[in-house]
Amino acid sequence: MSRPTLGDVEQILAALAQEGYIADREIATAIYLSVELHKPLLVEGAAGVGKTEIAKVMARALDTDLIRLQCYEGLDVNTALYEWNYQKQMLRIRLEEGSGRTPEEKEQTIFSEPFLLRRPLLQAITHPRAPVLLVDEIDRVDEEFEAFLLELLSDWQITIPEIGTIRAQHVPYVVLTSNRTRELSDALRRRCLYLWIDYPSFEKELAIVLRKVPGISRQLAEQIAAFLHAVRALDLQKVPGVAETLDWSAALLRLHRDHLDREAVERTLGCLFKHHEDQRVARGPWLDRVLAVIADAQRDGQSLQAALDRLERLARG
Amino acid sequence: MRPDFGSLTEHVVEFSRRLRARGVLCGPAETADALRALRAVNVLDREAFRLALRTTLPHRREDLGVFDALFVAYWQTGLAQRSEGQEDRPEPQAVAEAASLGTPSLRRWAEEATEGEQELPGYSPVEVLSRKDFSSFREDELDVIARLVVAIARRIATRWSRRRRRARRSHLLDMRRTLRLHLRWGGEFPGLAFQRRKVRKHRVVLLCDVSGSMDVYSRFLIQFVYALQDALGRVESFVFSTSLTRVTEELRTRSLRAALDRLSQRVPNWSGGTKIGSSLRQFLDRYGGLLDRHTVVLIVSDGWDTGEVEVLRRAMQEIRSRAARVIWLNPLLGSPGYQPLTRGMQAALPYVHVFASAHNADSLRELERVLARGRVGRPRR
Repeated sequence: MSRPTLGDVEQILAALAQEGYIADREIATAIYLSVELHKPLLVEGAAGVGKTEIAKVMARALDTDLIRLQCYEGLDVNTALYEWNYQKQMLRIRLEEGSGRTPEEKEQTIFSEPFLLRRPLLQAITHPRAPVLLVDEIDRVDEEFEAFLLELLSDWQITIPEIGTIRAQHVPYVVLTSNRTRELSDALRRRCLYLWIDYPSFEKELAIVLRKVPGISRQLAEQIAAFLHAVRALDLQKVPGVAETLDWSAALLRLHRDHLDREAVERTLGCLFKHHEDQRVARGPWLDRVLAVIADAQRDGQSLQAALDRLERLARG
Repeated sequence: MRPDFGSLTEHVVEFSRRLRARGVLCGPAETADALRALRAVNVLDREAFRLALRTTLPHRREDLGVFDALFVAYWQTGLAQRSEGQEDRPEPQAVAEAASLGTPSLRRWAEEATEGEQELPGYSPVEVLSRKDFSSFREDELDVIARLVVAIARRIATRWSRRRRRARRSHLLDMRRTLRLHLRWGGEFPGLAFQRRKVRKHRVVLLCDVSGSMDVYSRFLIQFVYALQDALGRVESFVFSTSLTRVTEELRTRSLRAALDRLSQRVPNWSGGTKIGSSLRQFLDRYGGLLDRHTVVLIVSDGWDTGEVEVLRRAMQEIRSRAARVIWLNPLLGSPGYQPLTRGMQAALPYVHVFASAHNADSLRELERVLARGRVGRPRR
């Protein structure tokens, strides 16, 4: 059986860049091996570092469909797997009134595949070609559901009492993401390849901003990336991710800013800091010092690494 | 140059074993994956080689640091000297063969798996300060406490499941069964079928202060921990003073006496000072994954913290935001004249759902009553 492949790691990097996703070799290798070894990929990392994007890009690069199961607390089999279409069943019963068929025959009719509502997991299994199945935020479901999922990931079959066992025609490519709000079981971990995505480095974040925020100047983009580097060294309730960086960049651009100053940062604080306490920290004297370091570094053309180190030290007071 | 996969396989196996010896979750299955991955990348490219192993061998973030350190030690610095002495290396094998699970080195590892586990460093108490003698227990006291604790545990630890079962009457319809009934009665309306939610249990995380300031009560409180764990099964227990120790396993035995004996041997720093904040922080960092919105956190402590108050406050804030319910039992609360005025206690109080006394059997009875009045589980919908 021929399976689609993604070429080698370099080609994936190129494909990812083409899709607008700035990745490093670590991410590209994980995607590549997940497809090559056909094993689920478990992606962990803080919110907003681009975990979900990986599945989307993977589906596009493999030229297949993406099926997404968004997990939440209380997710049950009816939402994840299948549900009977009760309205349709009732209509059918009405239509068949007086048809003279026995109740058993009728029952068989209304509990058959045309009356089944396919939820993401069943969709993934019955898909005509191997799709990418994204199980998003797996840490939100409880252990019971996790165990069920683990079983599915190894057997690739689903049993519906009224119909029987449905076996996967093509094993989907699976990406699981977790924000680590709950520790996942060892069994699930061991079934997967593992990828940890950290907050981006200065260079990577700069590349992302330049790529994703059209019309931004290089000077402002550098200041933004450096500022975020300083922010992430702070002890915050909620550390801003890449999504926040992009929101903030767009906001600054909207306000026609070409450089960072106190007023610009204060007006747009809500894009980056989602907690009152964090905002208070950011508004403090720390802000002036950070802005000064960034301005100096850019004016004198200092070594970048030295400036970034100084920014990190600022966070420690 | 063609890579020498025979010795490479040996080395990957050995490398995996060393990872495992350092506590990384990694066995023959992972090694087989790693070997398959190496077939798919260009192993002469050092970075590709490193990333292939890094994606397949470790499974958790905590293990990545161990991996990185060992990778440098093993493949970059160690390999040159090590290969000198190895004259009788296995024959270079075909790439495909080497990567299959059946290689001798892998099989050998599987056989030696138990031996490998023994390589793990055993526990050695570093801070042996003083040990507690548990010999003076009154048996009748135990009975009362045990019964109360079971009642309390039930209150604390039940919640509604999302699983359902048949019921005679409820507010939840069972559509599947209703339709079947409908058919069976030939289209006549036979009534509705119902289901109800099953009751499920919360997980309980117990954090028990055994430091000097709690000296008098520690013994009694360990009782509490033990009975709770015995009654529920899904209890994770920790004791802390200046640092935190997980004692779930110690308390899992059936015999109380044996459990207490083992505990006093195992827990360092029994009756030392207290660092509540840093102990809770340690709990969050190492075992934070145990917390979810179905977890009840039970902290037993008098709130005398000798550490930074801010550390305690932030730890409590995080626990509160991640757990279903935070209950703080304070053994001093019952004693006349005590008010929760210690700085630590004050910092912690805003993050506590239920604050109650736990200084004797009567106070436990009172706690049971408090819990009976209000549902402890997070209200659903």
